[in-house]
Amino acid sequence: MLRVIVTLFLFLLPTLSGAQTKPSVQIGLSNETVGITSSFDGTEVVVFGSIENGNQERLANGKYDLVISLEGPTDFTTVRRKEHKFGIWVNGLSEQFSDVPSSYTMAATRPVDQISDAENLKILEVGLDNLNLVPIGQNLSDEQTKEFRNSLVRLKISKGLYLVDIGGIEFLTPTLFKATLSVPANVPIGRHLAHAYLFDGGKFIASQFTTLQVRKKGFEQQAYELAHNHGLIYGILAVLIAMFTGWLASVIFKKD
Amino acid sequence: MSVNVLVLFSMGAGVGFLSGMFGVGGGFLMTPLLIFYNIPPAVAVATEANQIVASSFSGALVHLRKGTLDIKLGIVLLIGGITGSGVGVVLFSSLREAGQLDLIISILYVVFLGTIGSLMLVESLNALRKSRNPDATPAALPTQQTWIAKLPFKVRFHRSQLYLSVIPVLVLGFLVGVLASIMGVGGGFIMVPAMIYILRVPTNVVIGTSLFQIMFVTMFTTIAQSATNQTVDIVLALILMVGGVIGAQFGARAGQKLRGEQLRALLGLIVLAVCIRLGWDLVTVPTELFSLGEGGGH
Repeated sequence: MLRVIVTLFLFLLPTLSGAQTKPSVQIGLSNETVGITSSFDGTEVVVFGSIENGNQERLANGKYDLVISLEGPTDFTTVRRKEHKFGIWVNGLSEQFSDVPSSYTMAATRPVDQISDAENLKILEVGLDNLNLVPIGQNLSDEQTKEFRNSLVRLKISKGLYLVDIGGIEFLTPTLFKATLSVPANVPIGRHLAHAYLFDGGKFIASQFTTLQVRKKGFEQQAYELAHNHGLIYGILAVLIAMFTGWLASVIFKKD
Repeated sequence: MSVNVLVLFSMGAGVGFLSGMFGVGGGFLMTPLLIFYNIPPAVAVATEANQIVASSFSGALVHLRKGTLDIKLGIVLLIGGITGSGVGVVLFSSLREAGQLDLIISILYVVFLGTIGSLMLVESLNALRKSRNPDATPAALPTQQTWIAKLPFKVRFHRSQLYLSVIPVLVLGFLVGVLASIMGVGGGFIMVPAMIYILRVPTNVVIGTSLFQIMFVTMFTTIAQSATNQTVDIVLALILMVGGVIGAQFGARAGQKLRGEQLRALLGLIVLAVCIRLGWDLVTVPTELFSLGEGGGH
């Protein structure tokens, strides 16, 4: 809690001094790292922020719009579609996308299409429809590519990895805000980026980002690192554990 | 991966119970069960190989003490087995990249479980019927096939009292090795009948020798899968091992109270049920046609 108060206080300082003229946005996170232990069941990260040098009247009437997103590390992702062949369902057509955020959580003051125009949103990559997922695989028709892209987003949502929370930004004062973003149990590890975008009357004015590290902790971390970086040693260890268990069983349950 | 430790432990114990009762490894039941429980097939297969190391090591130790293990025959089987497993792991990687691994695993299971389940059921029902009219004489084992006797590179296996070409032994070991790495099974359910009926190995050394080969092949498979595909999960394997070891003890006791034919008929039914469940998923319209591959994270 002390941390929260300190964070809030830090945001208040520049607002009080009011040195700059152009409106801007500042954000900070309730925690800079998320540690995944074996009992990790998802958590929440609170994004605190303030709008600085805003027009007092517009601030008081809540005229500014905000979008806050938390984006996981990007990667290649293949989307496959099952087809009915020889009486069974097999994976047929596929499309690979690059730059796919492994997770994407977003909070906004209003639905994004009401906040700004399509072109702006596309450039900023704000909102699930505007993520720049680049198809790099086969030559599918535009319509098929769209279908595969939509399926990717739908599957990510169903896995809890993509999440949109309209109205999820709470204003504590006309300038201070906070958004609680949920981090799912299956959150991908790596460097996550928290972004805040400030809009005024449909126009994009300022943005700010900060990072959140998601890493495995304790035994989970050691096992993960061993399995992924030293597969051979991990395999040998797995065999030794199995042999020990088998030997123990034959000793404990020795017949006659 | 959010899975329940207690459920996994019970699955290990349940399959362990069956394997103790029927004297089978249980990999061919455990892997489909893990897949039904939404463990990714690639992880289920590789982790199950790891579990089989424990159960076969424990079993092979017992046979080693009793002297019912033909090490020489086991080593020849093993040479074929390791080669097969290596080929299997490479095949596994390329199928996974092509997005067809899950399908191939399912099809192999449907084919093998369907065949073996039906054979067991028919054979045991026949035996049950025959036991009601004791006049009928049991079918004699067929004499050794001539084509196997004609093969070159013969070697003497003292323990098994066999003078046999190494070719069929290597081929059998190879096939079982491939299956071990793609299906996550020990392969005892194929190896034991093949050793008895094709190689004519005396029944008293069959189980011990096949356990010996299974143990080394699954060891190799575990290490190879871990090094190339990173699909072994030690924690999952350990839970299954402990459950399996405990279940097997109770299963073995329960098995002594049932008659052989009844046991085989029962196991045949269980195997067919798993086969039908897997086959059903292949033919019915999936609720979700799309899936995410590599790098999607699960």
